[in-house]
Amino acid sequence: MTRSMLIMLAAALPLPATPALAQQGGAPAVALPVRQALGKVLPQRSPEQVYAKVCGYCHGRNVGPIILGRGLPAEAVRYIVRHGQNAMPAFRPTEITPAELDALSQWVSQSPARKEEHGQ
Amino acid sequence: MSLDLDRRGLLGAGLVGAASIGLGTGASAASPAPLAPGRSMADFTGAMKAFRGVVGAEWVFGDEDAVAPYEKAYIPDPAHRYKPVGAVCPQSLEEVQAIVRIANQYRQPLWTVSTGKNMGYGMTSPATPGQVVLDLKRMNRILEVDAELGTCLLEPGVTYQQLKDYLDDNKIPLWIDVPTVGPIASPVGNTLDRGVGYTPYGEHFMFQCGMEVVLPSGEVMRTGMGSIKGSTAWQAFKWGYGPYLDGLFTQSNFGIVTKMGMWLMPRPPVYKPFMVRHGDMADVPRIIEAMRPLRVSNLVANCNLMMSASYQLAMFKRRNEIVPDGAPLDDDSVKKAAKANGLGMWNTYFALYGTDQTIAGVEPIIRASLTASGGEVLTAAEMGDNPWFHHHQTLMQGGLNLDEIGLLRWRGSGGGLAWFAPVAAARGVEAQRQTALAREIVSRHGFDYTAAYAIGWRDLHHIIALLFDKADAAEHQRADDCYKELVVRFGAQGWASYRTGVNSMDLVAQQYGEVNRRFNATLKHAIDPNGILAPGKSGIF
Ligand SMILES: Cc1cc2nc3c(=O)[nH]c(=O)nc-3n(C[C@H](O)[C@H](O)[C@H](O)COP(=O)(O)OP(=O)(O)OC[C@H]3O[C@@H](n4cnc5c(N)ncnc54)[C@H](O)[C@@H]3O)c2cc1C
Repeated sequence: MTRSMLIMLAAALPLPATPALAQQGGAPAVALPVRQALGKVLPQRSPEQVYAKVCGYCHGRNVGPIILGRGLPAEAVRYIVRHGQNAMPAFRPTEITPAELDALSQWVSQSPARKEEHGQ
Repeated sequence: MSLDLDRRGLLGAGLVGAASIGLGTGASAASPAPLAPGRSMADFTGAMKAFRGVVGAEWVFGDEDAVAPYEKAYIPDPAHRYKPVGAVCPQSLEEVQAIVRIANQYRQPLWTVSTGKNMGYGMTSPATPGQVVLDLKRMNRILEVDAELGTCLLEPGVTYQQLKDYLDDNKIPLWIDVPTVGPIASPVGNTLDRGVGYTPYGEHFMFQCGMEVVLPSGEVMRTGMGSIKGSTAWQAFKWGYGPYLDGLFTQSNFGIVTKMGMWLMPRPPVYKPFMVRHGDMADVPRIIEAMRPLRVSNLVANCNLMMSASYQLAMFKRRNEIVPDGAPLDDDSVKKAAKANGLGMWNTYFALYGTDQTIAGVEPIIRASLTASGGEVLTAAEMGDNPWFHHHQTLMQGGLNLDEIGLLRWRGSGGGLAWFAPVAAARGVEAQRQTALAREIVSRHGFDYTAAYAIGWRDLHHIIALLFDKADAAEHQRADDCYKELVVRFGAQGWASYRTGVNSMDLVAQQYGEVNRRFNATLKHAIDPNGILAPGKSGIF
């Protein structure tokens, strides 16, 4: 996908997504939450954790647009995370590692909508 | 308005035709990212190659796409000046030392960040061209937490979220104190820029204790008691012996902090948040006069946020929900929207911490003086799940959220924000004059007065969010002009910033005076003769 296509896609974010894609996947089996041990660096986190500890503070809480349950292409998610979209800051590979982002982008793409989320 | 152009601008102009890389920063063909003054392409590529040898190729970023995450910033930068040329991301003290040695060899400047979320001050953007970001986020070990002393020792990449999770996971009854953007920011980065939070430990640098610093020579120095073999007091006693050194490494470019000690507040048995609602913009001096004695006596122990209605509305609303696009944001419309949302024109948040008994003892005294100032004193009983109350209730107990990022969507979608944060003594009349001056300047440039006062122990940080649409080129330029006018005209009244973004570091340094600047420069030249650490930080070269 070209950069301009991705930007267009991103610009279209606030529109309702196609529900079909969103319903197919669903979240992968829930992994045990990763805990950080004293004296050790943060281990790789599951997509659920990254969403809960970073993305989910804005998306679905009336700060950023809802991104779950919209079948957003994983590639668009990856691009936006690394570049920051409008009001959104960019997240560096040191903050969300390449491996975390690969899993996160797939997970966001496939996750169903959450009833408790709201916002524009 | 007679201050010189900032040196950064002159530097930029002098660089036309100087060495530049064609691949670095998103505008390769039109305006290639310039290298640092006097450095050649061979220096840069030599340094980057050597950095790869230290941290591995996957943790050195040089090409356009890889550097992109380091370029995002909210601040006005119409001339695209504040762009790094690369990034290097070590995971240990030894790697930092090796990087510093290489930087000296190739005279490659490094712009250090801990978590790099200095949002509205430049994020990871360096103050001068040609710098490689030294990104310490991978160094994120929580090294010690002492539950009895209420202390911890952290690496720079530990976020507030990581620290909070660690305390919660291990059921350690200590609180953290967060800036309003805690989840993605860090105790070390925030403290080194002398940021603030909203519990009684809100003046972060006051609660910092002991550092480990890599000096520009590559040597490692520990401050306070840290250099005494066998000392158990590194995180317990701030001052050590002789000149107090820790301050030298805040808002500066004299070293790279690789460990920092910090005090953590024991969770109090009872926490009771309050909001004081005042109905008019003109209530500013009354509120400050009422709060000051409570703060100076420490009856109210936390750093209070006195929030204007427009700032509060901007968190969760869009401007065009209040007034039509293009119309000025008039007080009547703001008042109406505020009222509909349970807010006043000023909303001052404070909290009491203690036991039922101690709170019952002081609450009536506090209520009496705030009520006498014309305010309605409200608690969770009246405010319920009001989202603004909930936000501040979270903050004042060191809780985490990112609600305030909503500010970036107030005006258009381009995400523009520059904090202007002048300091004053905590006196009503000063705040009144500051508010009047700020409103005059921002409204003349077509912007809104979305501001708050952080009421410290004896000071005010007037926190003005200059919100603009970065996607609109004309508005972006106006924001840049407006910001400079704010700095210059406030400075002329004796009000200078407590901290500033890379877009104005030189301008603010000029206001603090030539003697101070020369002193900083003398230190800088003595300890960093090759100018490798963050040239331009706080106007220090
Ligand atoms: C909506 C919003 C609300 C905000 N609210 C607050 C608030 O309430 N209080 C507040 O203080 N700020 C606030 N900020 C500003 C900012 O986002 C925070 O201060 C944030 O904590 C700074 O980013 P950081 O912690 O990632 O530090 P970093 O960006 O990592 O560091 C900040 C600066 O400190 C220096 N530095 C960092 N690490 C080192 C090191 N290891 N050695 C030497 N120098 C170093 C560098 O100059 C760096 O640029 C807010 C921003 C936004 C957008």
